[in-house]
Amino acid sequence: MLQKLQHHWPVRSRREFFTAAGSGLAGMALSSLMAEAAPRRGDLLAARPPHHAAKAKSIIFLFMEGGPSHIDLFDPKPKLKELHGQPMPASYGKLITAMGTANNSIMASPREFKQHGQSGLWVSDWYPHIAQHADELAVLRSCWANGLNHVGSVCQMNTGDILAGRPSLGAWTTYGLGTANRNLPSFVVMQDDKEPLGGTKNWSAGFLPATYQGTQFRTGDTPILNLKPGGNATSEQQLSKLSYVKALNARFGEGKDDDTELDARVRSFELAYQMQSAGPEAVDLTQESEATKRLYGMDDPATLPYGRNCLQARRLVERGVRFVELYCGSGSGWDAHQNIEANHAKWCRASDKPIAGLLTDLKARGLLDETLVVWGGEFGRTPFNEKGDGRDHNPWGFSMFFAGAGIKPGQAIGTTDEIGLRAVERPAHVHDIHATMLHLLGMDHLQLTYQHNGRAERPTIVGGSLIHELLA
Amino acid sequence: MRATLILISVASAFAAESAPKAFTAIQKRWWAIQPVREQTPPVATLSRIDAFVHAKLQGKGITPNPSADPVTLLRRATLDLTGLPPTPEETQAFLSDRSPEAFAKVVDRLLASPRYGERWGRHWLDLARYADSEGFKADETRPNIWRYRDYVIQSFNEDKPYNRFVQEQLAGDEMFPGDAQALVATGFNRHFPDEYNARNLYQRRQELLNDITDVVGSTFMGLTFGCARCHDHKFDPILHKDYYRLQSFFAGLHIDDQATLASPKAQQEYQAQLKVWEKATFDVRKEIASVLKIQRDFRVKENFDKFPEEIQASVTCAPEKRTPMQWQMYYKAMPQLTFDDAEVAKGIRGDVKAAYQKLAAKLKTFDHLKPAELPITQAMVEDVAAIPSTHVLRGGAYDAVDEEVQPGFLSILDPSDLRLPAAPAGKSGRRTALAKWLTDPANPLTARVIVNRVWHYHFGQGLVATPSDFGLMGARPTHKELLDDLSYRFVRDGWSIKRLHREIMLSETYRRSSDFAAAAGQADPENATLWRYNRRRLEGESIRDSMLAVSGLLNTKMNGPGVFPPLPAGVETRGGWKRDESLEEARRRSIYIFVRRNTRYPMFEAFDMPDTHESCARRNQTVTPSQALELMNSEMVLDWSKGLAARVLNDAGLSREAMVDRAYRLVYARPASDDEKRLASDFFTRHQPILAARSAPLVVPDKLPSGIQPIEAAVLVDLCHALFNSNEFLYIN
Repeated sequence: MLQKLQHHWPVRSRREFFTAAGSGLAGMALSSLMAEAAPRRGDLLAARPPHHAAKAKSIIFLFMEGGPSHIDLFDPKPKLKELHGQPMPASYGKLITAMGTANNSIMASPREFKQHGQSGLWVSDWYPHIAQHADELAVLRSCWANGLNHVGSVCQMNTGDILAGRPSLGAWTTYGLGTANRNLPSFVVMQDDKEPLGGTKNWSAGFLPATYQGTQFRTGDTPILNLKPGGNATSEQQLSKLSYVKALNARFGEGKDDDTELDARVRSFELAYQMQSAGPEAVDLTQESEATKRLYGMDDPATLPYGRNCLQARRLVERGVRFVELYCGSGSGWDAHQNIEANHAKWCRASDKPIAGLLTDLKARGLLDETLVVWGGEFGRTPFNEKGDGRDHNPWGFSMFFAGAGIKPGQAIGTTDEIGLRAVERPAHVHDIHATMLHLLGMDHLQLTYQHNGRAERPTIVGGSLIHELLA
Repeated sequence: MRATLILISVASAFAAESAPKAFTAIQKRWWAIQPVREQTPPVATLSRIDAFVHAKLQGKGITPNPSADPVTLLRRATLDLTGLPPTPEETQAFLSDRSPEAFAKVVDRLLASPRYGERWGRHWLDLARYADSEGFKADETRPNIWRYRDYVIQSFNEDKPYNRFVQEQLAGDEMFPGDAQALVATGFNRHFPDEYNARNLYQRRQELLNDITDVVGSTFMGLTFGCARCHDHKFDPILHKDYYRLQSFFAGLHIDDQATLASPKAQQEYQAQLKVWEKATFDVRKEIASVLKIQRDFRVKENFDKFPEEIQASVTCAPEKRTPMQWQMYYKAMPQLTFDDAEVAKGIRGDVKAAYQKLAAKLKTFDHLKPAELPITQAMVEDVAAIPSTHVLRGGAYDAVDEEVQPGFLSILDPSDLRLPAAPAGKSGRRTALAKWLTDPANPLTARVIVNRVWHYHFGQGLVATPSDFGLMGARPTHKELLDDLSYRFVRDGWSIKRLHREIMLSETYRRSSDFAAAAGQADPENATLWRYNRRRLEGESIRDSMLAVSGLLNTKMNGPGVFPPLPAGVETRGGWKRDESLEEARRRSIYIFVRRNTRYPMFEAFDMPDTHESCARRNQTVTPSQALELMNSEMVLDWSKGLAARVLNDAGLSREAMVDRAYRLVYARPASDDEKRLASDFFTRHQPILAARSAPLVVPDKLPSGIQPIEAAVLVDLCHALFNSNEFLYIN
């Protein structure tokens, strides 16, 4: 009766369940069931063993928010030139789009594509620096998702569902593996512009304990809320106060040794105290050389915001942060409903050198072997125009790229149809992408479950299968 | 329709599983659907609760803990019922009352306090996924939904019978026409997160119905109906069909955000006066309309064009020809096609704008003729013309339509289609039937579920440990006879929640100490036998309210729109947080703080407040460094520590011993021992030179009494701050 867990546990009776559980076949499920019987309490961040040997220690998710146009970046479609100005052929069927643009004419890519590196991977001239890393990239050209609108789609790319309320992938990661650095959050989110659409829902712990939610790092020297003591308390003052709190707690804890939570709370104050110095240190870029900063484009105002975040991401993964998510064009910057030329020129420029710099730097430091870098947005864009020179949302087919730990580089996987509208060969749903990312971190998405409202919930809901082609 | 194809392909994966099936023996024997029967307590000399608990303990040979000491008990009861700690005066009164009814008097006093509804109402708001905003991208404010929050508080405070409470929330408009509070109550089904500007409104409507179905199933029945959205429930006897049978009770609902609460007379007067204003402003309004026409038409067309054709047709169709589904689409689409003048005016420039502004100013001169706005609420009501047929959906996909179903209950209890009761004009009676079924004394689930919830909130653990899952995969009741005994009498004696509180709190079981005992702890580490009371951390709201109360800063003003206390620097608010709230308002109880789905109040977020997108029956109780950062570093907690220090200085005078003793009495509801006074004295001695070495100004109370050295007061502030950070304050013991 050993089988992979679905979102429900396929046994016929409770008795049978416990027989199975007792024989060790269902250890994972049992622990999550116990979690349901007794709400999670206490210290939840202890490191836990992975399901299998991990290829990646950390993930840096470069989230191009708003929907970068795959057909203008990584998925060249000569057919669009041919059909430029004509309506979409009837064979593609009827579509509901976000802006009702499905009857608009096809628009050719305004950019030029070239093959790069030994692998001959196609990249457009919007991404010249990233193109130099072509042999390190695996481009997945056949992604698809369910949402039509940004907020649902950004939410799905983070949580698996277009409706808010589920845990984010980073939260699942901390839940599954615990933390590797007690002095820093395990899941960090940064933005380069406005708040991402949907805000905190995208790095929420959902129904998991709040401990697992992502921490939004702010720019500046106090990246975390309440990191600086109120009232300008000095370090000595704080230590003196904390030692008094500790003495109070010791008295209260007398005869309560069985209550591990009281002890965990005492320790949480010590951790918080250490975070006060570890947090600012982690984002203190004065420790980086000018050459490194230039590598990330920090010497140019156009590339400074994202370059700074990319460099901070490297520092964070060096310090054991497991999941770093960097929004580029946060607040839907890439959403090029009109004048895609100007829009994408801006955001490609903002991200090209910083991302290339990150790949170079990670490699030079030997970190690329243990860090998975993922690039993508919540969806791609349509082959037909909007307002003459823009493109509408396209969740039916779009591209993402993967580099680093556990990835088979220098290849393009899957295809969209001739006009780049829909994924055709080897379609990869968001759940498949999530399953693969978790796999590289050493987790089986089917075993990573949490009992919630009667269901053994998992990150991929009822879907997800590994994209083996991506794996080295 | 590619999106459709995708959904269908997901759906087809389940199609093979959806064949009808017979219920298994285990499902038929499922405890939660057996009738609730009157029980005979196993021991005659104990209270009924204690008798059932005693029998279990005895069966396992476990000796329960003795009663907690009076101070612990008083603090427990007070925090439990009101979310606030007892005052030193209340403590003194209780300690000096030697009568055997002393504790019963405390419980009665607490139940009569308006603070009670503010505490227990919050539990219900968790279940109702209450929020003051829509969620999704725009997260617009729901400007009048706070009336539902106040309704809940009031209902708890007046001990509204639970059956009536259920009926009002599910069918208030139908069962109690003309009752304003019952109309407010229908807001229960209005709390779904919503994206009002969605394009695919068929899908959106289905998502709302799913949300309502799931929440009604879990909140009132304690069942995981959501598991049957795509297929028959894998364990519980909830058929795929039953999910949609339940859903169809709500098929005719639509949002009414302008539901009036005024009496017919007040409405008439309003209308009469409105006519006066309309007449006086006829010309100027006509001019405004003409100035804004081009821009308005543009805005309407812009949104209209984005809809799929079927939805456009629902809007343009003549009302008498609209099908029920077209009515549903119409109700969902119209808010996207309706703009007030000010909104339209945002898009105009130059001369047009100047002309508009002039006219708008002129219109304003007639404001004295305008009647005062009537109170409105955000309700969920039915339009009998807008009840589309309900179908089983394959894989839960909105457009994978299967067999049609009629309203009905769990098939295992009653497989027949519903016979609708008589209903007022314009109503179908569907929800009346559901509410009556749920509140029928013979319903096996409703009373058990609410009684268990009350128990859960009192003990931190229900008799059924999974309060919203009474299914076969949920926890079994640890004391089934007790649950049935309480449930049976709960219904028999009038569905009174206060009565239930009283019975529970006066039991020995509730009063037990939370101390550890080696033998009992070994025999039953999970405390399933209730040999002791479960120590637990205060919820975020209680931590904040308790600090405010203890420091003497709490503003106990009740009701009204949500308030916006200042946020720590660096919290992104997307413009959704009012910045100019007065200090007085900022110090109101936590339940009145505006609940914005996309910007949860940071302190509550850190302390496990649920995220309001789904019903939450059990909060997590985590320990995180961000909680510690909040407590030890936030300016707000420091500010309240200043308040507490001021109060202590005012009450106790200048002697350190007296100060420490007073602070202990306020924070811990007990005097400081000699040992503790020494500990505090050491802190004074150690801390003072550290503060003297600071370069920044000292943090001291705003008004210092004469004779006190600022540095002494500054140490006291830090001492108070330390007490607020300590476990004895943060835990119900």
